Amino acid sequence: MILDAQGIEMSYGALKVLHGVSLQVSESETFAIIGPNGAGKSTLFKVLTGERMTSAGTVRYRGEDLTKLPAFRRARIGFGRTFQVARIFGEVDLMTNVVISIEARLRYSGQSPGAWWRWTPAADVRLEAEEILERFGFPRSRWSDDAQYLSHGDRKRLEFCIALATRPDILMLDEPMAGMSPSDRKEMTKLLMRLKAETGITIVMTEHDMDIIFEMADRLMVLSYGEVIAIGDPEKVRDDPTVRKVYLGQGYQHA
Amino acid sequence: MTMLYLYSIFNGLVLGMAIFLVSAGLTLAFGIMKIFNFAHGAFFMIGAYVAYAVTGQEASSLWIFLAAALIATIVVGSIGVLADLTIFRRLAGVPADYTLMAAFGIMLFCTGSTRIVFGQGIHAIYPPAILGGIADIGIPISYYGLFIIACGLAVFLMLEIGLNRTWLGKQILAVARDPWMADVLGLRVRRLKLISVATSFALAGLAGGLLVANQALSLDLGHSYLLLAFCAVIVGGLGSIRGAFIAAIIFGLAESLNSVLMPTMPGISSYALLIILVLIRPHGLWPEQSQ
Amino acid sequence: MNRIASIALLLLFAAFLFAPYLVNPGLVFIAGFAMIEIVFALSWNLLFSYAGLVSFGHAAFFGIGAYVAAATLRYGYDIHFILVLLICAVLGAVGAFLVALIVLRRASGIQFSVLTLALSQLVVVLIGYSDYFGHDEGISAIPRPVMNFGLFTVDLNRPLANYYFVLFVCLVAVGLMWLLVKGHLGRAMQAVRIDSERAEFIGIDAWRIRVFAFTISGAFAAVAGALLAPWGQIVTPEYVNWLHSAQPIFATLLGGAGFFWGPVVGIVGLSALNYFTRTFTGLSEVLVGASLIAVVLVAPQGILGTLRQLAKRRKGPVKGGHA
Repeated sequence: MILDAQGIEMSYGALKVLHGVSLQVSESETFAIIGPNGAGKSTLFKVLTGERMTSAGTVRYRGEDLTKLPAFRRARIGFGRTFQVARIFGEVDLMTNVVISIEARLRYSGQSPGAWWRWTPAADVRLEAEEILERFGFPRSRWSDDAQYLSHGDRKRLEFCIALATRPDILMLDEPMAGMSPSDRKEMTKLLMRLKAETGITIVMTEHDMDIIFEMADRLMVLSYGEVIAIGDPEKVRDDPTVRKVYLGQGYQHA
Repeated sequence: MTMLYLYSIFNGLVLGMAIFLVSAGLTLAFGIMKIFNFAHGAFFMIGAYVAYAVTGQEASSLWIFLAAALIATIVVGSIGVLADLTIFRRLAGVPADYTLMAAFGIMLFCTGSTRIVFGQGIHAIYPPAILGGIADIGIPISYYGLFIIACGLAVFLMLEIGLNRTWLGKQILAVARDPWMADVLGLRVRRLKLISVATSFALAGLAGGLLVANQALSLDLGHSYLLLAFCAVIVGGLGSIRGAFIAAIIFGLAESLNSVLMPTMPGISSYALLIILVLIRPHGLWPEQSQ
Repeated sequence: MNRIASIALLLLFAAFLFAPYLVNPGLVFIAGFAMIEIVFALSWNLLFSYAGLVSFGHAAFFGIGAYVAAATLRYGYDIHFILVLLICAVLGAVGAFLVALIVLRRASGIQFSVLTLALSQLVVVLIGYSDYFGHDEGISAIPRPVMNFGLFTVDLNRPLANYYFVLFVCLVAVGLMWLLVKGHLGRAMQAVRIDSERAEFIGIDAWRIRVFAFTISGAFAAVAGALLAPWGQIVTPEYVNWLHSAQPIFATLLGGAGFFWGPVVGIVGLSALNYFTRTFTGLSEVLVGASLIAVVLVAPQGILGTLRQLAKRRKGPVKGGHA
């Protein structure tokens, strides 16, 4: 069990958003959280990544209790995440974006990112960054471009580079395909599937696009008004009558 | 001994009201422009110099003194309109640090201009004869002190009622809290900003005109009040008139009691108090709601 | 950075290098002050452009260095001046570390700025109480040290030695800051400034990085202050005052925020402006004020930012540039 959350509750002031949500994710699984808007997906996501602390319940990672652990500590033990709206380091170039992430990993895993007075990244750091950028389809000619001028889809891809440069064991993706063009989506799905096949990384994601969910997810959880109404493998969840009623009923026709 | 304390409490209230008169405009400007207007102290000083230019060393009557304060209000208010039209308005999309720098530039510009017009000297200004007296009710209470307290209360009430009860005031608060939404609602945001910036500056001018006789008039006048007013605005909750009022009184009392309780360490209590209060309540005593 | 800016910086460096042979002693004196202010402004910019912290009270750390150095020289403690510089750096770092520890836990943004302002004013008030530090008058008639390096001695009473000593220390300080900022710690600092939350999600402890940046910055500000004592031979509370804290802010914005070298250009600009208007009372403030306003209105990216933009426009399509 890589991730084990039990009885997560969360309120904003008087408004209770999560009512005792529990979920378990096993190693190398792709786990999707879906639900209509306002179901508490984002909040649950924030609790799992450490962006917010729970009001009640526990979060465990490979048996280790990290309920009270801040985000940066979770990142150091193996969490990687992307945001709904891609967040990158806009004012520096693509290369530096990835280098920052690699150096952070080295610094906090007992290795050294090089002496403090070295004004260029160490050769192996640079090599690794180049490899990552190339894999995600950024040609050499664009490595020194400012990241803030990237298109929406490119920002998303760069954010993946940043998140993967820390070599996470579990990748938390908050609507990874939101706002992407259909062709970008397809390409990204392929990229993620390949990554999974190569590294066996665990993925927890929220997503609106049902096609992608059914293509990628091993298991699925449906949230509604802060409660789990179904959990299991996608085919079963799809045929669940309560789920059909609250969500998939309309969602499927759209898709 | 009790008398001494009572006396210093009275002085503290006077100082507190004086600080409030300066911080009222400052906090209003913060609400609208989201910057600390460093120029505020300079405009306060200009107000004092304008009043001095009208009345001379001692105003011949209370009416002339008040008229001079009114003229200071109008003059500084007009400078505010000018500053908004030529500078602040054009900085709408620029990061706050730069607006701050512009405000600092205006401060230097104003201090320099005043230096050129009025010279370096320090002037002793007296309140008009009718306020010059002292009532002895066990402790000596100066009429001028009472006058400042009255002015502070009047300005406070006017702002509270003006902002919370009138249509214009509500519009200004709406702009302060969410300019984008105010714009969507069809409020004339630019004009409202202009009005509030002008009001803020006019308040600085008024404060200068009223407080001109409270201490020696010099080019440093702005700084001494400005720092205390900053403290009051921060501790009161940025943009909150009520908070600034209470905080100004707290700082006035602290300053005044400081000189009685710790005569060997003048001026330390306000900064110490500020640091403690901000560490306890980083968003101030009455945080103003805004985005 | 583009070519024009690099050439301008090299010319500036040459001007500082040969100043004693080119201009009169009065200007050399100003150049020395400018170099000290450059180190001070760069230490502030280290915080602003690389860690995203706006300190309004940076003069306090400058003051720590200035007063400690002034006191050791004035009261005749027999300590090698290089050691004094190092002690000042350590004291500045410790002071900044403590401030950061208290302030950064609770406050951010404007509250942080105002707390630093209040703390620095507290230092001014405390200096005012102290006999040792000369109350409001400060410490004056500070003697210049003679440093024995074994093989040779450097006597700061000789004008040339004095100037080149300040230049040397400033160069070392600037060089160290440059290396730090361009290295992996600088990149981590920049990540925290640009998006501290994103930085946390790759494992960077934003709070720690900010405390680190603040500490280092305090150390360099103190070194700048320590140089002032032998160069200016007088240290007053005015150097600790909030108006002095504002100096690096303007230098940075004038020169161009986000650039390492921005403050250098800014300080030179401000010094020049002050120098040319020094004889007119009031006018110098009016001009400095007016030019600050003009910069904000006309060239809000500062001098270097405007140069970069011009260069970009000439070159056509955006080709990534390094700040």
